[in-house]
Amino acid sequence: MNTAVTSKHQFAMVFDLNKCLGCQTCSVACKTQWTRGNGMDAMWWNIVNTIPGKGTPRNAFELGGGYKDGQPVPGELPGKAEWGEAWDFEYDKVFFRSADDDEDNRDYLRPRAHDGKPPRWGPNWDEDMGGGEYPNSYFFYLPLVCMNCEKPACLEACPRDTIYRRDEDGVILIDEERCHGYRFCAEACPYKRIYFNEQRAIAQKCISCFPRLEAGVAPACVRQCPGRARHVGYLDDPDSHISKLVNTWKVALPLRPDFGVKPRVFYVPPTMPLAFDENGDFDENQSRFPMEEMRKLFGADVEQALATVESEREKVAGGGQSELMDILISRNWNDMLGPYKQDPGKLVRPPRRGND
Amino acid sequence: MTNATLDARHSPANLEDILAPDGSAWNEMTGEVIALTPTPLDRQPSAYVQAAWKDRNHGAVAAVTVQAIRNDDTLALRLQWQAAQPKRSIDDINAYADACAVLFPANGKDTDLETMGSPERPVVAWHWRAGTDAPFSVTARGIGTVERSAEHQLQARSRWSDGRWQVVFARSLESDGLSLSGGTDIPIAFAVWCGAGSERAGLKSHSPEFHQLRIN
Repeated sequence: MNTAVTSKHQFAMVFDLNKCLGCQTCSVACKTQWTRGNGMDAMWWNIVNTIPGKGTPRNAFELGGGYKDGQPVPGELPGKAEWGEAWDFEYDKVFFRSADDDEDNRDYLRPRAHDGKPPRWGPNWDEDMGGGEYPNSYFFYLPLVCMNCEKPACLEACPRDTIYRRDEDGVILIDEERCHGYRFCAEACPYKRIYFNEQRAIAQKCISCFPRLEAGVAPACVRQCPGRARHVGYLDDPDSHISKLVNTWKVALPLRPDFGVKPRVFYVPPTMPLAFDENGDFDENQSRFPMEEMRKLFGADVEQALATVESEREKVAGGGQSELMDILISRNWNDMLGPYKQDPGKLVRPPRRGND
Repeated sequence: MTNATLDARHSPANLEDILAPDGSAWNEMTGEVIALTPTPLDRQPSAYVQAAWKDRNHGAVAAVTVQAIRNDDTLALRLQWQAAQPKRSIDDINAYADACAVLFPANGKDTDLETMGSPERPVVAWHWRAGTDAPFSVTARGIGTVERSAEHQLQARSRWSDGRWQVVFARSLESDGLSLSGGTDIPIAFAVWCGAGSERAGLKSHSPEFHQLRIN
């Protein structure tokens, strides 16, 4: 059976959640690059969810998959109503209505699900919910892509070795020619980042923009990020941002380490505002975001990671120097791109994208 | 379990009549009821599949009725099985379509059925899935090695009514692939997938032993 062989390099990303704006520019950058083809309307290989929230698909992190004590955990695969559909909008009704229509009865662009009814769920549906009680309300944004896991549950679940790890950089890909659409991979991915193309009856997911990587260009989601929240590079290069944030400073952590898949996307956890006490004053000892939920998302190391970020911030605020802050701020944004600094606009032949 | 012998008797019916799943050409042919059993879970080639189905049943379809027929050019097989809740297509992200297959040793003589062939002795199968226009012709050299290939002489038609699927496979007697000319006596096996039970890949009902197809 297929096992996740090692690769020459370990392609990895770090998402700084203190800088993510939740603008979904990454999602749209990915969409226009890769998921405009047949059967891909509802696919968001990159999505930004709001935490707390149920995620995409609904309850994404409660559906099983991954490993517990080294053993595969059975996973559930939700239907399209739970993933969110590509809605239809009544353009005809709005743009081509009769001049005789009652001005007070104007139509507007209502989204419609496949059954003609108003949608009841969609990607990041609960964006504006957040958590906590005013004035101690809280939320942050959590971007998600394929994690290119060190122990990829998807790859190991496939009964016909359709999924493989690239030797050069460790990026994990689905061979679309070989895929028979059984969807064990989609069940097994604990982050629920594998989509199913109903029209082609194959599984599809984030490909880390590998044709761009091969041209030295960073993935579209990374390059387009207005918040400059995303770092890319090799985890195995000790001088890379990735390695310094993950291994040296230990401020970039895996999401849901209890899933047991050792993801290669790491998150700088958000330093949340202080809570208000009953007198309306800041409680210096209390974050608004419950630490228990933070530990569930990023593991037991999250408190130390947050403490490190805060103390380095204070150092710089006091006029000092901090390598960590220099990396996180990245005054020259190309420094965030590791070995993928090539400007795609300056290539004679642009990297391939979907539907080209 | 006794092995059945299916006789593909000669019929004057034309191809269209034979392809009709409820066509009268089939009325004259005797059918064999083939008992099916769930495929062994410990043969599933992924630890995930074994873990996910450990406490869950597969192999919902217990029997398939099979008939064979030939005319001057074509061999046809009709498979019929009970499906109270048919899944006629993959109509959702978590939906699986009903399917069936017939399988032969590629050498026309023998191979290991439980492993779906071996590198030395591959198997050939015809695979129909509800909602698709054309059947797949596949070869396998062991579990998890199925490769789909184009075989233009292979056709299938299907019909569901009254809680029952009727699926006809038809292929030219002469083909670049498996030899099925008159006088051929070849081992044959069967499989059915119940989409409502999320059956797909190796999770299916199958005839655990070869039966015999005699092309008169």
